[in-house]
Amino acid sequence: MSIASIAERVRDGGRIDGREALQLYTGASTALLGRLADGIRARRHPSGVVTYIIDRNVNYTNVCVARCNFCAFYRPVGSAEGYVLGFDELFRKIDETRAVGGNQLLLQGGHNPDLPLEWYEDLFSAVKARYPDFRLHALSPPEILHLSRLSQEPVAEVVRRLVAAGLDSVPGGGAEILVDRVRRELNCYSKATADEWLSVMRHVHEAGLRSTATMMYGSVDTPAERVEHLCRLRDLQDETGGFTAFITWSYQPANTELAGVEATGIDYLRTLALSRIVLDNFDNLQASWVTQGGKVGQLSLAFGANDMGSVMIEENVVRAAGAEYCMDEAEIVRNIEDAGFVPKRRNMTYDIVGDPLFRRRAIPRRTALAVARPAGDTSVPDELSRYPARSRPGREQRAASGPRPA
Amino acid sequence: MHDDLAAVLDKVEAGETLDEGDWRALTGGHDLIALGMAADGARRRRHGDRATFVQVVPVPVDAPALAEPVAADAGELRLTGRPETPSAAVAAVRALAVRADGAPVTGFAYGDLEALCGHDAARLGDLLVELREAGLARLTSLAADAPNPETVVAVLGGSGLGVSGLTLGGAAGDDARRLLQRVGSWDGVGGVCRALAPLSPVEASPPATGYADLRQVALARLLVDNIDSIQVDWSRHGPKLAQVALTFGADDVDAVPAAASPDQGWRRSPREEIRRNITAAGFVPVPRNGRFEALQS
Ligand code: SF4
Repeated sequence: MSIASIAERVRDGGRIDGREALQLYTGASTALLGRLADGIRARRHPSGVVTYIIDRNVNYTNVCVARCNFCAFYRPVGSAEGYVLGFDELFRKIDETRAVGGNQLLLQGGHNPDLPLEWYEDLFSAVKARYPDFRLHALSPPEILHLSRLSQEPVAEVVRRLVAAGLDSVPGGGAEILVDRVRRELNCYSKATADEWLSVMRHVHEAGLRSTATMMYGSVDTPAERVEHLCRLRDLQDETGGFTAFITWSYQPANTELAGVEATGIDYLRTLALSRIVLDNFDNLQASWVTQGGKVGQLSLAFGANDMGSVMIEENVVRAAGAEYCMDEAEIVRNIEDAGFVPKRRNMTYDIVGDPLFRRRAIPRRTALAVARPAGDTSVPDELSRYPARSRPGREQRAASGPRPA
Repeated sequence: MHDDLAAVLDKVEAGETLDEGDWRALTGGHDLIALGMAADGARRRRHGDRATFVQVVPVPVDAPALAEPVAADAGELRLTGRPETPSAAVAAVRALAVRADGAPVTGFAYGDLEALCGHDAARLGDLLVELREAGLARLTSLAADAPNPETVVAVLGGSGLGVSGLTLGGAAGDDARRLLQRVGSWDGVGGVCRALAPLSPVEASPPATGYADLRQVALARLLVDNIDSIQVDWSRHGPKLAQVALTFGADDVDAVPAAASPDQGWRRSPREEIRRNITAAGFVPVPRNGRFEALQS
């Protein structure tokens, strides 16, 4: 089939298969991909609204046994640079988030063998007891799988317990590319195979929770594997309808074991546009300004995105891999309006919650994203001593910090 | 594409005069891709699928000695900063030219030299000749709002020194549009000025948005027919925006570093990096030197 006839089907609102998607991705001009994606965006969001969310991106621990070779963020068990945030530190971050109008934490972290399922349950319960309306968008599928393995409870039971403790929705991290050849090369096959990632999401959706979906491209993947990833997400969305949004970003190679070079800005815009075309059952696509910078982030709005993502407030993972961009609410709104759209605040399920907040009340401008912890802060939270550690360094650390209460 | 934008783009292509409504459709509309496609068409008619780039070694005008040998990939040694006096400018060119190892030496803003010469066209003409004889290949920049455009063309033409880039000096929006119109009707400017660099040389506060930058690049290509190249700056605007600009009417990338900088964490040489970016944008990369001569790949 010719590119023109595939494009015609997309314009008519028809679905294209993986083979046709690959033909478009590798053969269509960037302008054509952009126009097709923009057409779909305009049909799905005819009001011209572009949304964003005020929430905070917190990584509760950087200790991880998965050791993905594309990750610059993790520290091995026993590392002097490893950290676990304490409940009080997290409460402070929630207070700061609420002060700038945020109502949610995006909470993700490493696969820390010394944090049992009970730690998460206690944390979530404590947050909900203190801030009943505050939302927890937390724990990507590989983290849930890790907790299932650690606790020896089935995934469905882990999800049930986390929801009972206060989990509201699940971020789509850890998907990378949902093709096992790629996952083996990235050393992330054992943290979750493609089927396992999708299976956890199926459990999450069956439990009544909504989630996002992601794709990290540009490491060792081929164009055909990116298309396969998108098709697998589309299939699950057909089945459950549980995904609220899709976010793609390029692999950030600095400081990683895998190294290499970052995909270009054009690669990003083409991949975003293709995602909009293939994911015809997803309502929302986010711009990844945190990896692409504000300018290409804004251009995403011409290539299929209808959402500028989060103001983030804090970011640790992408920064560890060398990218440091910051956009506060005023800057996000300026970019949305400059592109000809109407900015609205949203929540995780994409309900509109209001107009830009900084126009209603004074909010200090921010020129840099916060970090999980100030450099050199190696403190160990008191409450950790209440939980059993599995690793030898973890057990030694807890023995040194005092007896566990009965 | 909105009908009014399509009609305006037809008028642009036919070389017709634009009225106020046309300008509003061009600059105020949000169909960025349509504007980019039109600019890309104009750019391809002129340059095909070639995209040129130059690798530059910046050298401060007050310290023109080179600390290291000229990098093999250097296509231009560029004196940066404002000289204190006309003779300091000539001395800096001489000092650098003997170490240039064949790479063209460029430098100076036309306006700075004009000020050093007390805005006396005859003195400026003499200085330009002296600079050329000392080894200067081109001036670096000329402001699009330079007074007396006919004199500028006459002085430059008489001296035999061309200018690499005509700049809008940070103008944006309506101001930029007025300057682009001025440039478009500036007789003879294309004979002395090889490229137009439409984006701001310094980042404004708040920074220009991606849409604003690309709109300005596209409008520059669509409205300025008398200058050959539309140029973006790799170092200043960043690889991502510079690359996308190539699909919105730009055909030349300025200021690619001549050597890798370990503190920026590059894992590939800048030449490989720029080639990869140009190719990924759908163009054929062509290295050039500071005289705009194509180099062997
Ligand atoms: S990507 Fe996540 S799971 Fe993989 S090493 Fe990094 S923190 Fe661990």
